[in-house]
Amino acid sequence: MPTKAEKTTARKKRLKSFFSIDRDRQVDGDTINNKLLNEIVAEGGASASIAACMQCGSCTGGCPNADKMDIPPRSLILMIQRGEWDKVLQSKTLWLCSSCYTCTSRCPRGVKPSDVIEAAKALAIREGIKNDSVKFNTIFVDLIKERGILFEPELMYKYGGLKEVIDQAPLGIKLTLTGKMSPFPEKVKDPKSFKKALEKIEKVSKK
Amino acid sequence: MKYSYYSGCSLHTTAKEFNISTQVIMKELGVELEELKDWSCCGGSIAGGVSHDMGMALAARNVVLAQNQNLDLVASCSGCYNKSAKAAKALEDPKERAKITAVLEDMGMEVSDNNIKVKNIVDVLINDIDYTGKIKHPLTGLKVACYYGCLMTRPDDITGWDSPLYPMSMDKLSEICGAEAVDFRAKTKCCGGPILVHQKEVAYELTKALLDEAKSLNADCIVLACPLCATNLEIRQKEIEKYYNVSYNLPIVYITELIGLALGISPQTLGMNKHVLSVKAVIDKVKNNPLVAA
Ligand code: SF4
Ligand code: SF4
Repeated sequence: MPTKAEKTTARKKRLKSFFSIDRDRQVDGDTINNKLLNEIVAEGGASASIAACMQCGSCTGGCPNADKMDIPPRSLILMIQRGEWDKVLQSKTLWLCSSCYTCTSRCPRGVKPSDVIEAAKALAIREGIKNDSVKFNTIFVDLIKERGILFEPELMYKYGGLKEVIDQAPLGIKLTLTGKMSPFPEKVKDPKSFKKALEKIEKVSKK
Repeated sequence: MKYSYYSGCSLHTTAKEFNISTQVIMKELGVELEELKDWSCCGGSIAGGVSHDMGMALAARNVVLAQNQNLDLVASCSGCYNKSAKAAKALEDPKERAKITAVLEDMGMEVSDNNIKVKNIVDVLINDIDYTGKIKHPLTGLKVACYYGCLMTRPDDITGWDSPLYPMSMDKLSEICGAEAVDFRAKTKCCGGPILVHQKEVAYELTKALLDEAKSLNADCIVLACPLCATNLEIRQKEIEKYYNVSYNLPIVYITELIGLALGISPQTLGMNKHVLSVKAVIDKVKNNPLVAA
């Protein structure tokens, strides 16, 4: 029978090894910053596998938006391993990623860069970062909280103001004529408790 | 055969024809669809990037409704399907399940243990149904570019029924209908859907590449199964033409409409008169099909 101490060492050893890479060491010998890593994981990022990234660049190679990004997915994963949150936070990459999952399909190490980026977005929004994408995404979620069913014209109005509505007027007319735009937005049966339950999540995650 | 059916927000507004054609062809094929009772938005690609737990709770709500109706869930919209499938997987993880259950209970719902599958309409059409013998009006001569986009087959740990990078299901479905599916290399390249409003120019560029390739292959139309892709490819096609000073005039057709035509259902019944960009060219080509006239 192994002693308790032996068991712990064996467990630690197992934890250290993922795809036979030590969990606290990655390719260029830096130390993994566990604080940031844990925050990303808590927000739905791909757990231990972030540490297993071998910087092969398959994600960047397949990313349709890599040429527009200041930090392509491969580099972003490296920065997250190193704990360079400030750089990640300021990066345009978070808002150029179109959640296409190509990187995740191509990654040979199970890193799921798409999910890591999604988690980083949520952390950045919670930290109060402001830009058009954040504005759009938060309005989108706020509207869902309200009625449970999205009503697109309202989203466009809240995001772009009257200008957007006027710009899109010909389309609006067309949609009305084809019976696609009803003046009465749909909603869930009990919007009140729907909203309350979702707001409770936000309160918990803000803590 | 009976499924619970999750239509979702877009199929009630910009993609009404997708909703109509889904219901019409399923009825024709003898498949019963029971609409989810009191469904809500799945959160799309957006909610999870604002809060993981919020995205999960929103998507899981519909899966739990399907569980309570004790029927496998089918969604036509690729996005609704993808998020629901992701949530169904999360419900199997004890930690995620506990968080989701807490939110849904706050909404007054009960989370059951009923085990159901989440499926996309294309998966159902290719794997659960055989309509080979029901083609009344073969679409011979029609060249289609099947566009899968991102969410129908990726990531494959939650989809898994077709290739994440070069799927063939819709190509096969089109060929059963008698159409010719061109070798569309860009079939799973992103159109920029989730960033189409706040990164407009980037989305334009991505969508343009798709239209360019489909056009160069002489496709009569693009066939798809995602209302958000259709927003870029169809609703914004005129804007893109103007922005780049080019002309495409390329009809965008939902896979369910294409199958409906081949089953001999009238375009009107399929809701095809509701397209923002006319699909008349496709209908005319099919109508004038000499094989059918004979
Ligand atoms: S594909 Fe995976 S392993 Fe390769 S660089 Fe990207 S995240 Fe790292
Ligand atoms: S999910 Fe984002 S980072 Fe990954 S390939 Fe797509 S756009 Fe690029």
